[in-house]
Amino acid sequence: MLELDGLVRRYGDVVALDSLTFTVPPGQVFGFLGPNGAGKTTAMRAVFGLVALEAGTVRWKGTVVSDRDRRRFGYMPEERGLYPGMKVGEQIEYLARLHGLSPADARTATVRWLERLGVAERSGDKIEALSLGNQQRVQLAAALVHEPELLVLDEPLSGLDPVGVDAVGSVLVEQARAGRGVLFSSHQLDLVEDLCESVAIIDRGHLVAHGPVEELTLGGQPRLVVRVAGDWAGQWATTLPGVTISRAEGGAVRLVLDGGTDPQDVLRAAMAAGTVEQFGFERRRLSEVFRESVA
Amino acid sequence: MKYVIPILVVAAGVRIWLRMRSRAKRRAGGAPGGAAPGASGGVGGALATSPAARLVARVLDATGDVGLVARREVRERLRTRLFRISTLIVLLAVAAAVIIPVLTKGSTTPTRVGVVGTLSGPLRATVRITGAEVGGKVTVVPEASQAAAERALRAGRLDVALVDSRRLVVEKSLSPTDTSTTAEVVRALSETVALQAGLQGAGIPPLEAAELAHPRPLPIEALVAAPSKTKTTERTTETFGLIFTYVLLSQYGTWLIMGVIEEKSSRVAEVLLSTLRPRQLLAGKVIGIGTVAMLQAALIVAVALGLGAAVGSSLIHGAAPLALVASLVWVFLGYAFYCWVFAAGGSMADRQDQVQALAFPLMLPILFAYIYSLIELGAGSPSLLIKVLAYLPPTAPFAMPTLVGLGVATWWEFAISVGLSLVGIVLVARLASSIYYRAILRTGGRVHLRDVLRTELAPTVR
Repeated sequence: MLELDGLVRRYGDVVALDSLTFTVPPGQVFGFLGPNGAGKTTAMRAVFGLVALEAGTVRWKGTVVSDRDRRRFGYMPEERGLYPGMKVGEQIEYLARLHGLSPADARTATVRWLERLGVAERSGDKIEALSLGNQQRVQLAAALVHEPELLVLDEPLSGLDPVGVDAVGSVLVEQARAGRGVLFSSHQLDLVEDLCESVAIIDRGHLVAHGPVEELTLGGQPRLVVRVAGDWAGQWATTLPGVTISRAEGGAVRLVLDGGTDPQDVLRAAMAAGTVEQFGFERRRLSEVFRESVA
Repeated sequence: MKYVIPILVVAAGVRIWLRMRSRAKRRAGGAPGGAAPGASGGVGGALATSPAARLVARVLDATGDVGLVARREVRERLRTRLFRISTLIVLLAVAAAVIIPVLTKGSTTPTRVGVVGTLSGPLRATVRITGAEVGGKVTVVPEASQAAAERALRAGRLDVALVDSRRLVVEKSLSPTDTSTTAEVVRALSETVALQAGLQGAGIPPLEAAELAHPRPLPIEALVAAPSKTKTTERTTETFGLIFTYVLLSQYGTWLIMGVIEEKSSRVAEVLLSTLRPRQLLAGKVIGIGTVAMLQAALIVAVALGLGAAVGSSLIHGAAPLALVASLVWVFLGYAFYCWVFAAGGSMADRQDQVQALAFPLMLPILFAYIYSLIELGAGSPSLLIKVLAYLPPTAPFAMPTLVGLGVATWWEFAISVGLSLVGIVLVARLASSIYYRAILRTGGRVHLRDVLRTELAPTVR
């Protein structure tokens, strides 16, 4: 388990991290969200000791992260970092060696990961000769080649086409299923919702929401989707007390209920208005949770 | 007891050879799938198969992460076409500098003296010695008659004819300003042959006459000693050494600055520093590029000495080879001093196009020391300034060899300068690496020195 505990970092007057605290459990894909400049990159760099913290500690399995621990972490920074003029295969092999693999293991792991990510045939090419998407895959191979216990990936999905997103996504899920910690940041909230079991949302360096996606999206006021035959605009609901129409789409009306409103009363009102074709509870989208959290 | 050391040396040599052989076999047999031997593990390039490069790779292997970083540097540098071509050009220039002076020296042709009539043994010896005294060589050619000798003169087969030991005949009259070897030989012959003939005519036996015509010259003592022949050679060698040191320091300094900027601007430094300490990355880079620099320097000196020995160059006479090897010491010390400065400079840039702007101020002390040392070496006597510069670590790599070339440095002065350089290297390494640690991860524009020194160190550095 990775624990970020009370991290503080300021750049002049700008607060990058403001007592940031959350934990990343192993065996889960963990999303790290926040608007631009919220401090996500600073927090991720802090895991690798690349930021001088004013306060707080980063712990791995209960103890302060050591150099030895970091060797077993995989990192993909936001601004990708590979030697432009070095050959793909040699570069991955070199990074594997720096993470402590033997020459033979480094070679085998390099071949395996380049194949897994679909760039094996580019092994002998220089990085600068690759498309941005392929560079991204190579960068991911660099983070994975030493079978890390914890993956920290800063915006791993940006710049990828849908096929690439699927490929990377399946690797992240697979790594989590193997019991590893996977922390990744993203702006693509729909993708995060599909991929992640848990998320942390930060704003101005401070944690604003944290927990399993399931709980976060179920939280807040109850939501209903109701479709009454013939009433496309949801007129029947406009006069209901304690109910707000958030959206009416194709005849289906999305309703947000006040705390005291009984969903059964809403059902009865709908039945009174006509034939009920659809009635169900709906979860919030993660993007809504995000907007509400950082508002 | 006296056999113990040789036996140990031989045993160690055999062991290293056996290990190299078994490793070579393993590589040859254990690389399925067409992986080229040495493609990933070896130092690569042209030197990959040489035992020296394998030894370097093994030493670097033994040093863990720093060794891995250094090995990558060595491999990538040796692989570049720029390195191979520049090495070739430097070696050709060295070969030319060694061979051309020998060729031009060897091209002086002997003065051909035609002899009409008989020439006594002592007089023949006098003719030869006279030639040697004025720095030329004399070949004596018998001619049947004066007419034949004159034909030979006109045809250019002779330079001068001695007729009956009484007259000298040349094709064209000698100008008083003609200082060619032939003219000098003719003038000297006209005096000594006449003197010797006169002495013999006065009844002095030929052998004594020859001795009288060639008295042993009085020794000449000068209050100010002229530079001896070997001193001149040493100065030439030191000039060569200064150029060599300058070329290598500026080349490898620029490589370091570019290497650091490459890692910083491509952000690969962030990936590397997530698992390495900055000091490991810096040390690996400095050692790797330094290894390439010293390999190239050693190759240049070896080629210069080898060629010098082969063609009989003055480069291998007297103290000149020692001076050449001593310049290797100064290349090493110069690199060890400046590598930190260049690495720190590189870490303050943000983009590749800032190389020139950053390298120039760092090159200034090197450029100053180099040019000033060349001037001093040419002038022949050392000034006070060069004597001071010889003890300052930034300028010692040029100024101290200059004093050696001028023959005014004692061994202990040399040793003090080396010692001060070592102290300077430790100090500059500490300062420059602390700048590097703070600047390498700072992106978004060129970093300024005062900002860097105020920055707090990240935990991995502490």
